[in-house]
Amino acid sequence: MRLRKVRRAAVAALALAVVLPVAACGGSSGPSGGGDGDKTLTLWHMEQPPNRVAAFQKVIDAYNATNPEYKVQAQVQDWNQIYTKISSAVQSKTQPDILFTIPDFTTYVRPLGAVRPVTSLVEELDKEHTFGDAAKAAYRDDDQYWAVPLYGMVQMLWYRKDLFAKAGITEAPKTWSQLLDDAKKLTSGNQKGIAVPAGKNLATDQVIYSLMLTGGAGNFFTDSGQVAFDKPQTVAALSLYADLLKQSPSDAGNYSWGEPQAAFNSGAAAMAIEKGQYLAPFEKESGRPASDLGCAPIPQADTGGQPGSIYYSNAAMVLSPDDARAKGAEDFLRFVLKPENYGQFLNAEPGLFLPLTEDGATAPSWTDNEVIKKYQGCVDAMLEQSKTGGLFGFVDGQYVDSIGKVSGQNILAQVVQRVYSNGESPAAAVKWGQQQMQEAVSR
Amino acid sequence: MSGRSAVPGVQGVALRARAAGHRRPWTRHLLGYALVAPLVLLMVGVIGYPLLNTVLLSFQDQGVVGSNSTYVGFENYGRALGDGEFWAAIGRSGIWLVGNLVVQTVIAFVTALVIGGNGRWARASRTWTLFPWVIPTVAVAVIWQWLSNSNYGVVPKAASAVGIDGLGSPFGDSALAMPALILMNSWHWFPLGAVVIYGAMRTIPGEIYEAARVDGANAWRTFWRITFPLLQPVLFALGLVGSLWSFNIVDSIYLVTKGGPADATTTAPVFIYNKAFNEFQASDAAAVSVVTIILLAALAFFYIRVARPKEDQ
Repeated sequence: MRLRKVRRAAVAALALAVVLPVAACGGSSGPSGGGDGDKTLTLWHMEQPPNRVAAFQKVIDAYNATNPEYKVQAQVQDWNQIYTKISSAVQSKTQPDILFTIPDFTTYVRPLGAVRPVTSLVEELDKEHTFGDAAKAAYRDDDQYWAVPLYGMVQMLWYRKDLFAKAGITEAPKTWSQLLDDAKKLTSGNQKGIAVPAGKNLATDQVIYSLMLTGGAGNFFTDSGQVAFDKPQTVAALSLYADLLKQSPSDAGNYSWGEPQAAFNSGAAAMAIEKGQYLAPFEKESGRPASDLGCAPIPQADTGGQPGSIYYSNAAMVLSPDDARAKGAEDFLRFVLKPENYGQFLNAEPGLFLPLTEDGATAPSWTDNEVIKKYQGCVDAMLEQSKTGGLFGFVDGQYVDSIGKVSGQNILAQVVQRVYSNGESPAAAVKWGQQQMQEAVSR
Repeated sequence: MSGRSAVPGVQGVALRARAAGHRRPWTRHLLGYALVAPLVLLMVGVIGYPLLNTVLLSFQDQGVVGSNSTYVGFENYGRALGDGEFWAAIGRSGIWLVGNLVVQTVIAFVTALVIGGNGRWARASRTWTLFPWVIPTVAVAVIWQWLSNSNYGVVPKAASAVGIDGLGSPFGDSALAMPALILMNSWHWFPLGAVVIYGAMRTIPGEIYEAARVDGANAWRTFWRITFPLLQPVLFALGLVGSLWSFNIVDSIYLVTKGGPADATTTAPVFIYNKAFNEFQASDAAAVSVVTIILLAALAFFYIRVARPKEDQ
């Protein structure tokens, strides 16, 4: 009798042991849904600041209010996690319908096999709104467009006019030697001439790359896709960067996006090289009038210099598993790029997100924004700088498939760190960078 | 508890049964097996399966996590063992482990002795000592970065006020980043050690201290002859668990320095993370993980052999 009770309890416990894990596995909730009756499109974007999330949501709400067949639902992702997350999402067929991207991330996602070409949509939108060539080029490969360009970003030299005036400097530097001289003149006591990042991150990658572009080292791949990083122009750009770091705050070795901007706004640094996110918070954070914020093109090398700056368009890929959902995703992207909606979308971060279409650049929905109006001169300068901008792996008509492996490892930033933190010579660090890049693209 | 039965006579019966070669029928044990089955299945699911998967992955040539791959034998192991950067990361992991172990143990011991007192301050500090422990790691990382930021940090501002200008964040200095991270991590986790040591100290009978005082032992001698030896089993367990825990930390390091500057804080787990998710070499990362697991297991085995308290041997 007692043995029977024990057996019964044992059977119940075993059944529980078997059922629990099965139950745990059964409740899968993929991000995309995607079932036959599911009329919701999932959109993944990586713009995490709350103001951007809210502004994107407004545009999405406006689209959903038009009663489309497929409504859009946004999910905010992290740039640090997205590489792993999209890979497993595609494997489990739970990828989003729309995924925001930048050119090098696109080269990573495409081989996963879920990205749909959007050539006809891009051509249609181009005819209707006219994209700039730089906006589209980085997304064209194998005679197809793989993403719809949405907004551009470009770096400028930002400077504090009030601190320049105090130091007796009357105009922004145009050449590397002027930049370095001004940085030295502006360094005094707790104030540094410039704040440039040297952390192992994308921020450092991008700032050094802007200087590489203006020094003629922007293209570090041969026509056959071989790495050609180790050249005198790269060494010169790195030498300049190392000199600028000497005029930067002492913890620049850990700087990313935010720290140089904080130093700039607090007056602890008189110059910085970054994108248009410097506009909106300047008055509030610095306590200075908008007229104290100066902007200029990235200074060029004294010999052999050329105009340039890192510039890239952010875009949206369509990964819907079936044609009907893909059409729904395309309808949403058409809606975003309509001039009356586009400005609201761009002003998620006014000044940072730049229009990529001709009618978008003149649309009142964008130009009427208070920040855009207040800093009209700098906004125009950024649009002008965009024309000479480029991004590693995509300059001079290139499309380097393996560029994601170079940017993913922050090899440019690591090269900077070897000079700044380890005291290596720029030539040795560039040689090391060449080896790392070769290894990265060869595997 | 030495494993001796609490019920008089039961152990003797069991021993006699075993000596006589009698074995209980397996059905008698069925309930026991059934009750532990959920836990065993869970362990197999969450530890055994990923571990097996990692080993299998280490013999392939997978790049992006989850992408197609083929079998390449021991190629990844050869590359891992010949990679100087991997061994440098293992070396930094050693520094990280020993640094955390020493700093956390010292702070925890001092804290436990302080909060073990009977004064009002000692009693009050028993609560706020736990404060760093309850702060999420992300917040700890942000707090320490804020404190030390050269632009708006409290520490550089205070230093500037006393005439020390230009003090930057130690996290941006390749020579100071590792010690600063060890200090930050120790600050975060020392309350755990302090509470465990404090709890263990409370179990030492007061009569022993009373007798020592009667014999004329001073505080120093009492600590080294009574408190420390009696706490050895607890310190042994704390050291083992704490070391393994510290070794595997990625979040604190990654949030503050991402392994920089110039790899100065790239420990083995950070190295593995970078391999898998920044360099997109999943199989290489798996091979390095397996080598690290073996090294860690050997270290744990060595620690148990050397540091195990004598009464348990």
